[in-house]
Amino acid sequence: MKQVVVHPERCVGCLQCMLACATAHSRSRTLPEAVLESPRPRPRVHVGVGCFDEGFPNRCRHCDPAPCMLACLPGAIYRDAQTNTVLIDTDRCINCASCAMVCPFGVLRYHPDVLAPPDKTVAVKCDNCIARQQKGQIPACVEACRTGALTFEPLDGAMRRKTDAVSRTVSAGRREVPPPAGYALLTTIKHEQVRLRSH
Amino acid sequence: MATTQHVIIGNGIAGISAAEVLRAGDPDSAITIIGDESETPYCRPMISLVLEGALGPERLPIRGTDYYQQFGITPVLGRRVTAVDTSRREVHINGARPVIYDKLLIASGADPRPVKAEGRDLDNIFYLRHQAHVRGMLAVMPDARKALVLGGGLVGFKAAYGLLRRGIQVTMLIRSGYPLSMQADAEAGRMVLTELRAHGLEVRVGAEVTAFEGGPAVRAAVLSDGSRLACDLVVIGKGVLPSLAFVRRDQIAVDLGIVVDRHMRTTAPDVYAAGDVAEGMDLARGTRWVNAIWPEAVAQGRLAGTNMAGREVAGEGSLGRNVIRIFGLDIMTGGIVDPPADDDGFTVVSALDPRRRTYRKLVFQKNRLVGMVMVNAIEQGGVLLGLIQSRMPVRLPAETLLANGFNYKQLLME
Ligand SMILES: Cc1cc2nc3c(=O)[nH]c(=O)nc-3n(C[C@H](O)[C@H](O)[C@H](O)COP(=O)(O)OP(=O)(O)OC[C@H]3O[C@@H](n4cnc5c(N)ncnc54)[C@H](O)[C@@H]3O)c2cc1C
Ligand code: SF4
Ligand code: SF4
Repeated sequence: MKQVVVHPERCVGCLQCMLACATAHSRSRTLPEAVLESPRPRPRVHVGVGCFDEGFPNRCRHCDPAPCMLACLPGAIYRDAQTNTVLIDTDRCINCASCAMVCPFGVLRYHPDVLAPPDKTVAVKCDNCIARQQKGQIPACVEACRTGALTFEPLDGAMRRKTDAVSRTVSAGRREVPPPAGYALLTTIKHEQVRLRSH
Repeated sequence: MATTQHVIIGNGIAGISAAEVLRAGDPDSAITIIGDESETPYCRPMISLVLEGALGPERLPIRGTDYYQQFGITPVLGRRVTAVDTSRREVHINGARPVIYDKLLIASGADPRPVKAEGRDLDNIFYLRHQAHVRGMLAVMPDARKALVLGGGLVGFKAAYGLLRRGIQVTMLIRSGYPLSMQADAEAGRMVLTELRAHGLEVRVGAEVTAFEGGPAVRAAVLSDGSRLACDLVVIGKGVLPSLAFVRRDQIAVDLGIVVDRHMRTTAPDVYAAGDVAEGMDLARGTRWVNAIWPEAVAQGRLAGTNMAGREVAGEGSLGRNVIRIFGLDIMTGGIVDPPADDDGFTVVSALDPRRRTYRKLVFQKNRLVGMVMVNAIEQGGVLLGLIQSRMPVRLPAETLLANGFNYKQLLME
């Protein structure tokens, strides 16, 4: 099963995933029209700013067991086994924010949504673009990410690559794992900016 | 070998959560649930939404009507347990034969804290705990003009809000200086008070009821300051107490609630307790505490069920947390929100932003976060509560955690 894997060290904070996500969850599914829609389409992935001004695409981890699912008062949160996606039934949601209280990652938002009953404020979070997946497309954030900070792949494959990368750095003839071009520079600049600012 | 007899007292969320993992973990066992509420398992917190009129009662069930059958559970409903005798492994039930258990779970929840006042038995004086209470209130509501809510705790508060939304004039009587004093601190309490008053709620602080007058229905309340208050509907919402009148204290250790260990075991062999009735370790306080909230009842019920099924799993402990939305305010709180002022082991930082109408307060004990209050912009509240739960030392400056842009990533960059 393919899943969205986040590689935070590659994120440059360009916010393309947020735009793509909001567009994918709009009525028209095209950016120029989406910006004019009501309710305003909003992203389910949230690029936060880290301590060194670096970007971080924060999205639902579809935890198992999922704290939000166990805490949801009306039982509106459920899991789609096929895509391993934690989903919210917006008809049942009572906007109590119990899910925000227990989600350790802070990925839930509350607002009216085109996929919810009209004018109803509901809990909204990543749905792994389940509608796109049904049409054979990959999640919109992954499609939009140009730096490889978001990939769509089987989790064990991603883990193997990470393990390999780590083991290369510790093995005998250790050579530097080349950081993705440009990132080292960017990170250095950001760290330096923060250092200067705090002086 | 004979089938293991699991008996569960209480068909609230703790009881049914336990039964479900028990059924999965011990498929061949017999499970009996004894509960005095005969409705299909339902969501207790949502009854205030029915009072308010936001939802119909048909939205309350959280399981199917064939629930007990589906999980192979023998239900004994509409009856109360009157005694538990652990020496004979017997559960005594009002009007039925005793049930023998191999393993027993006490998940009897909590009862509303009663008030002592003359005329308490008059009609139209209600608690707000069971579905039946709401049915009672709805029946008399068409004739109600002036309601009195006793207590500014979570439930009193939801009752007042619900009645207000029904267009009934409501007076709330609170003993302490501000509502939600068990959940929030003075600053958040004041914000809540202002908001409620702006929406027409009358709040009287520092007063209590000494007597009710009328007959057969309540007509007025006499207050501790000697004044009288006309009212035709009263809701008592002065908090809850663990429901354990049937427990013999010489057999099972009881403090405020039934004392449990990390496996939800009581001090009696093969007897477990979970939910609002149980008192286990509190993660923020580091002492035993009753955290009577829904998510804990689910977690504790599941933990008890897992252990009863024979898989020994220890829980970390519980954390008191709440989130409340009223009119234009969202309030999220957790852990120790008001540390004793004379205890210098705590550090408190807070930020009030009148323009954005946000307030944040964090309570640290050394380098551990042990409490928080958030008013509005609550989306990242779970991250902070997660920090309290994990008891991880926090190395970030407190201001970072207080800031509006705070997010999960910043914890990773310590
Ligand atoms: C109006 C209201 C709003 C709430 N809002 C929230 C909220 O927003 N968030 C939150 O986290 N929590 C909320 N709560 C608290 C939450 O409902 C409880 O924490 C939760 O229901 C506890 O579950 P439980 O299974 O432990 O106990 P209960 O739900 O009380 O279930 C226990 C059951 O056992 C039965 N029982 C008791 N004694 C006996 C006996 N001797 N014999 C047979 N049966 C017995 C009871 O009748 C009951 O059916 C709210 C509560 C109320 C009343
Ligand atoms: S919303 Fe939060 S708690 Fe729920 S599955 Fe997603 S990350 Fe986990
Ligand atoms: S806000 Fe909606 S999805 Fe979240 S816990 Fe409440 S009812 Fe469930």
